[in-house]
Amino acid sequence: MIVPLGHVLILAGLLFVAGLAGVLLRRNLIMILIGVEIMLNAVSLTLVGASAYWRHPDGQLFALLLMAVAAAEVTVALALVIYLKRSRGTLDVNRFDGMKG
Amino acid sequence: MMGELLFLIPLLPLGGALVILFAGGRMPRRMLSGVAIASVAASAAMTLWLWPLAGDRTRATLFTWLDVGALQLPVEILFSPLAAAMTLMVTVVSALIHVYAASYLHHEPDIRRFFTLFNLFVFAMLVIVLADNLLLLFLGWEGVGFCSYALIGFWYRNPDFAAAGRKAFLVTRAADVLFGIALLWLFRLTGTLSIEAINLQAASLPPTTVTILALLLLAGACGKSAQLPFSSWLPDAMAGPTPVSALIHAATMVTAGVYLLCRMFPLISLSAIALAVIGLIGAATAFYGATCALVQRDIKKVLAYSTISQVGYMFLAVGAGTVTGAMFHLLTHAFFKALLFMVAGAVIHLAAGEQDLFRLGQLSKRSPTLFWLLLVGALALAGVPLTAGFFSKDAILAACFARQTLWWTSLGIAGLVTAFLTALYAIRLVYLLAADRESASGHGPAPRGLVWPLLPLGALALVGGLLNLPAVWGGHETLGRWLETPAGALPSHDLEWGLAAATLLLVAGAWLFIRNRYRVPPTVSPGGAGVSFLAAGWQLDSLIRVIITAPFEKIGCLLEKSVERRLSATWPAGLGRLCQVTGQSWRVLTSGYVSHYLAAMAWGMVLLLAMLVVLLVL
Repeated sequence: MIVPLGHVLILAGLLFVAGLAGVLLRRNLIMILIGVEIMLNAVSLTLVGASAYWRHPDGQLFALLLMAVAAAEVTVALALVIYLKRSRGTLDVNRFDGMKG
Repeated sequence: MMGELLFLIPLLPLGGALVILFAGGRMPRRMLSGVAIASVAASAAMTLWLWPLAGDRTRATLFTWLDVGALQLPVEILFSPLAAAMTLMVTVVSALIHVYAASYLHHEPDIRRFFTLFNLFVFAMLVIVLADNLLLLFLGWEGVGFCSYALIGFWYRNPDFAAAGRKAFLVTRAADVLFGIALLWLFRLTGTLSIEAINLQAASLPPTTVTILALLLLAGACGKSAQLPFSSWLPDAMAGPTPVSALIHAATMVTAGVYLLCRMFPLISLSAIALAVIGLIGAATAFYGATCALVQRDIKKVLAYSTISQVGYMFLAVGAGTVTGAMFHLLTHAFFKALLFMVAGAVIHLAAGEQDLFRLGQLSKRSPTLFWLLLVGALALAGVPLTAGFFSKDAILAACFARQTLWWTSLGIAGLVTAFLTALYAIRLVYLLAADRESASGHGPAPRGLVWPLLPLGALALVGGLLNLPAVWGGHETLGRWLETPAGALPSHDLEWGLAAATLLLVAGAWLFIRNRYRVPPTVSPGGAGVSFLAAGWQLDSLIRVIITAPFEKIGCLLEKSVERRLSATWPAGLGRLCQVTGQSWRVLTSGYVSHYLAAMAWGMVLLLAMLVVLLVL
């Protein structure tokens, strides 16, 4: 394995934190979705790295599965985004406070 | 096979009650009372038909009610001679009183409720009489208590009457608790609730336990039979319609306590202390009731106190060891007291609801038949020689004197004094009702339905003594032989003749005294302190109020203020406010912004990771 596992994990961790920061700090719904995607890809990267390290194909299989699920998830999420844009006229998440107790 | 038919005796009145309850609304009145009378009369006929079974002490089991481990509880009937005699009395007297009630309540709108309860009462009473296990007996015991409560308060729109019903219910219930304790304790000791089995095992129980058990049973009997100190409910119970007073509060239910003691006699007789206490309570109550009856102005209250007094004689008999005497007096008392109550009802009916003895009169002119019946009943009550009451009362007194100990002799003397008082108030009743004065007048002559059921009872009150004619009078003590119950110490012939002479003298003295006093119809006078003390039943009610009710109310008020209000108001309200305040302050957490929730999740994750790291490092 050319790249040491530690580096892969550090990169994945950075990516995950970056994605999380995007999710938490951005106010635009689309940017939040992108943050989620980045977090998912960080996880995929971990899986692929681990798969290479242990020479076991399961991790890569999981990464493929994750891609398929992420694609489906994005489809649904984008549909919701369009629906929200049409019904509320905005994508600013701070305007959505229907769950306020 | 014939044994199973025995169940028809109690079930027929139950069926009558159910038919009236569910179909009574659509029946004409005559048919409704017809169903009630027919079901009880059929039960009486059934008893007569199955009479031979009593000789073999037939048992019959309908089904097993409870079967849990050691607790075997069959619904079982024991048709012993004792039960059979009682059953016959209950069914026959009930049937006659049902006929009477049908005419008495001629103008009553709600006879459906009345006859449902009346039939139900007969059912419950027969359950008491026939049951072979104590729990089944207890079921009937509570059943008659309920019917008595509902019938005393039959005219429940009058708050006093409803209160009288409640009082009867509560007082008897207080005594029933003690009876219930005895019942559970007996089950624990013997592992069975069958009366016969318990009586067989009784000899193996420790003597102190037997004494306490007997006293507990006595307390239960005292409650039902209105003996001291539980007697105060019976005079108030006269609020019910007169047929109810005649059936429940004179002939049947109030004697259930005596019957219970008779059934449990093999157990009770093992304790000399318990017997002495039973005798004492009986004699004291007999004396107490007679003194109160002397001065009552309400015709029904005279009879109520008289019932208390006469049932006291039965307790005295049980205490003196003569179950036969107790049963004999129970039967004769049922005849003459039911008769007197029904005469009183007819008199009240004739006088348009007037119950005050000082406003009634001229009975011998207005209805000679009723007057003669009253005379028969009063003579039997007074114990005039050769009437039924004479033989049964003398048997009890003779049994007391025959014990030849100081204790029983003094109780016997108390009984004799009571006999004199009894004669006084019985004859006073006759004189007051026959007094020549203007009296309230109501409807015309008494309806036939009010008179003819009295005739058989009148005959029985006159000649009922033949049932158990003592050998001195040339009889064979038929009842005692047949019941095979203990007759107690045998009195000598001299004693019996002496007692008969004493009774004769006492009655004659009482008659002379009353004749002298009431020759001129007395005017309404307030009476002195002594009279009002007796009229209020020795202020028993006030005493109970001071000793029991008032402290109970005080404790209740105290608890209400100190505990109940906190438990039911202050504390729950505080708890509610606490929840409200917490909820209000934690509301800010739910801002509604997704990013806040996600941040919370992220911080949670950070916390978990930190914990993981700490754990790994440690």
